[in-house]
Amino acid sequence: MKKDVFTYIIGGKAGQGTKKAGIAAANFFTDLKREVFQMNDYPSLIRGGHNFSAVSTSTSKIYSHYMKADLVVALDQRSYDIHKGHVSKNGLMVYNSDKSKGVDVGIPISSEAKKYENSDLIEGVSGISVLIAMVGFDKKKLDEIIKKEYGRNVEDNLKFAHAIFDIATEKIKNKVALNQGDKKFVLLSGSEAIGLGAAAAGLDIYFAYPMTPSTPVLHFFAGNGKKLGVVSVQPENEIAVANMAIGASFTGARSMVGTSGGGFCLMQEAFSLAGMVEAPVLFYVGQRPGPSTGVPTYTEQGELLFSLNPGQGEFPRIVASPGNIEEAFYLTAELLNLVWRFQTPAILLSEKHLGESSMSVTLHPHKAKWAEPVLHKGGQYKRYRYTKDGISPLLFPPSDMLIKWNSYEHDELGLTTEEADLVAKMHDKRLRKQKSLVNHLKKMHTVNIFGEAEPLIFTFGSTTMSVLEALGYGDLNMTVVQPIYLKPFPVWELEIFKGKSAIVVEQNSTGQLASLLREKAGIVAGASILKYDGRPFNPIDLANRIKKVVKVEC
Amino acid sequence: MSADLSTDAEITWCPGCGNFGIFNAFKKVVKKLEDKGVDRNKLIISSGIGCHGKIVDYIGLSGLYSIHGRSMATVQGIKLGNPDLKVLAFAGDGDAYSEGIAHMIFAAKRNADITVIVHNNGTYALTTGQFSPTSRKGFKGPSLPEGNIEEPLNPLSLLLEAGASFVARGYAGKIDHLSDLIVEAVLHEGFSVIDVLQPSVVFNNTYKLYNEITEIIPKPAKSFEEAVKLAKEMRDRMAIGVFYKVNKPVFHQELMGNWNPIRDKLGRKERLKKVEEFFQQ
Repeated sequence: MKKDVFTYIIGGKAGQGTKKAGIAAANFFTDLKREVFQMNDYPSLIRGGHNFSAVSTSTSKIYSHYMKADLVVALDQRSYDIHKGHVSKNGLMVYNSDKSKGVDVGIPISSEAKKYENSDLIEGVSGISVLIAMVGFDKKKLDEIIKKEYGRNVEDNLKFAHAIFDIATEKIKNKVALNQGDKKFVLLSGSEAIGLGAAAAGLDIYFAYPMTPSTPVLHFFAGNGKKLGVVSVQPENEIAVANMAIGASFTGARSMVGTSGGGFCLMQEAFSLAGMVEAPVLFYVGQRPGPSTGVPTYTEQGELLFSLNPGQGEFPRIVASPGNIEEAFYLTAELLNLVWRFQTPAILLSEKHLGESSMSVTLHPHKAKWAEPVLHKGGQYKRYRYTKDGISPLLFPPSDMLIKWNSYEHDELGLTTEEADLVAKMHDKRLRKQKSLVNHLKKMHTVNIFGEAEPLIFTFGSTTMSVLEALGYGDLNMTVVQPIYLKPFPVWELEIFKGKSAIVVEQNSTGQLASLLREKAGIVAGASILKYDGRPFNPIDLANRIKKVVKVEC
Repeated sequence: MSADLSTDAEITWCPGCGNFGIFNAFKKVVKKLEDKGVDRNKLIISSGIGCHGKIVDYIGLSGLYSIHGRSMATVQGIKLGNPDLKVLAFAGDGDAYSEGIAHMIFAAKRNADITVIVHNNGTYALTTGQFSPTSRKGFKGPSLPEGNIEEPLNPLSLLLEAGASFVARGYAGKIDHLSDLIVEAVLHEGFSVIDVLQPSVVFNNTYKLYNEITEIIPKPAKSFEEAVKLAKEMRDRMAIGVFYKVNKPVFHQELMGNWNPIRDKLGRKERLKKVEEFFQQ
């Protein structure tokens, strides 16, 4: 059983600042040199509904939030009802006694807040006061946090925070002391990691149309792009997004687009265009539950099979999915490098759970790959020159030589052709490139393997974090296999697992990773653990489900 | 790059097609622009899909032969990638006004510094003559054998309303006039569109009609309202020339200032330093 984990949940209506209170708590734990995982849960609306932020912290590595809390702060009745089952045995529920009835500690949060302007918006601050009181820090620490986190209306926030702190200090009997860790980590969201990874790799322009959960990356570049040398553009729709990115790549600008499933549907023709003209564009696809509009602000891994075959026709496609936030940084950079090296589109496949959660990271930016193309070195330029490896060197305008990118089937110069032998020859060139890509991946780290003991657990994307935390929590000694690359699928790395008993854990209802493993690698899942309610796994529940399956398996 | 702007591609337009008028006018444009100091290596072209699209194959300039309706988005991306380039999108009427209408309207709205040349023949010629957004009411084609039941779009008044800063109409039968229009459009800083009346000899032969009703206007309209009025005169008299021209802030400069992603690109060391700085915040 994992010790030393402390979990704080704050719930309320949209607009009450629960996410902010979660981030403030996460930063407070980070200052204590503890590791943190923070997850935000919110419906697709601006006011009302139920939002919550769950923050788990430990002095050792932590890969997931827990839904068993040491402290729950419920700002309304709904939050109380939803989260009362999430309070751990020795945990505490602090509720807003103006809005709800309950046991444990009631604090008149709303009547205290009413003394100030924008009383609805200020209520979230109470969460921090209660947390600081419970873990035994003083008002000085509280002031420090409020000043740092709540820039607007500092005076009101301070007064309100003090009032709640005083009530909480008096009412909370079972205080919890948090041990300090020995290293201060950087707290980073998945979206920030993706943005920074792309920037480190040399991204020049980011194009996106707003769509949860990829929007935070657009906001990241809008806010930080100038500093980092990256331009961000919000065109009229996803079709423009993808076509503009292809246009920008024609000039030599490193381009990336961001979207989710619905937007990626609109990008199909452009994705195929990128395959044909051999445009280096990186597509970030943040998954949410589908089909169609689905459940817009929640998490799922239902687009794995869709993302493996986007666009019509035959051309090399690259798909990879990061297993945690640190990996998101390096993998984004690596994919930007790969699209430039191989001049074909790639998908960075992730989920809302990674994009909008934050965790403690240790990153070494200099280890990020830099996007480096093969450049034309003189002589007559042929855009689609037949080469052994299928990669035709790039040249950018302005140039005395003709540079023609062509959506039609084309000859080496990029002029349209329908001649039988040329059509086949250009197919062959792209096939050679596909082979070169596979050979290149064979030299790369394409699969993460954690542990050595059987049985095996296969998983991918952010579910990897849930699985690792569940194994830690449940003291389960197993091997976790996480293919980072999903296309081309690294079967050469998975050969050793053929014929062995495997459990597949993924967040969709049909077992898409299990299908992929069976089809490509001949690995047959003995059991699948699926979750498809839009919520990430809770490590405690997941540990129990794994234990059940292992027992049955044995 | 060949001096006469030719390529090895075999020209497959129908003899007498209006596309030849635009093609020949454009070859003159490149030379006229060079006389005005515009390097042909910096002229980048794109096209959509349709008979017009083949112009990218036929003209010896660098560019991207794009897909249906997207050339206007493609060139906006090229312009953002390297604002030193002058970009032209060739488009058909189906391209510009049907599949790509959102890109057109938004390029006009944001005043993207691009030039769009629409080969407007009022039919989908490459796919054998179906009606297009600008086909007249009653126009017969294989998809509407009893005649078009929709009113045609008026692209010029639509684009004026969308905020286009340079709006013109040309005629493929008046090559010198058309080439002057294109030169002016390319030199205009901001969104410029030329709707070119282009007869399709097989599916919509309008030479006779246009020879009768087109009338060169010497100067742009005095006001926006007058330009809209002029754009709406379509039946008895059809003006060709520049309808409207105004100077407005240009999108890429509003977005990036003088930053050029290619010229000003930060090297790896600088980038890593900036990323490190972000972590230390």
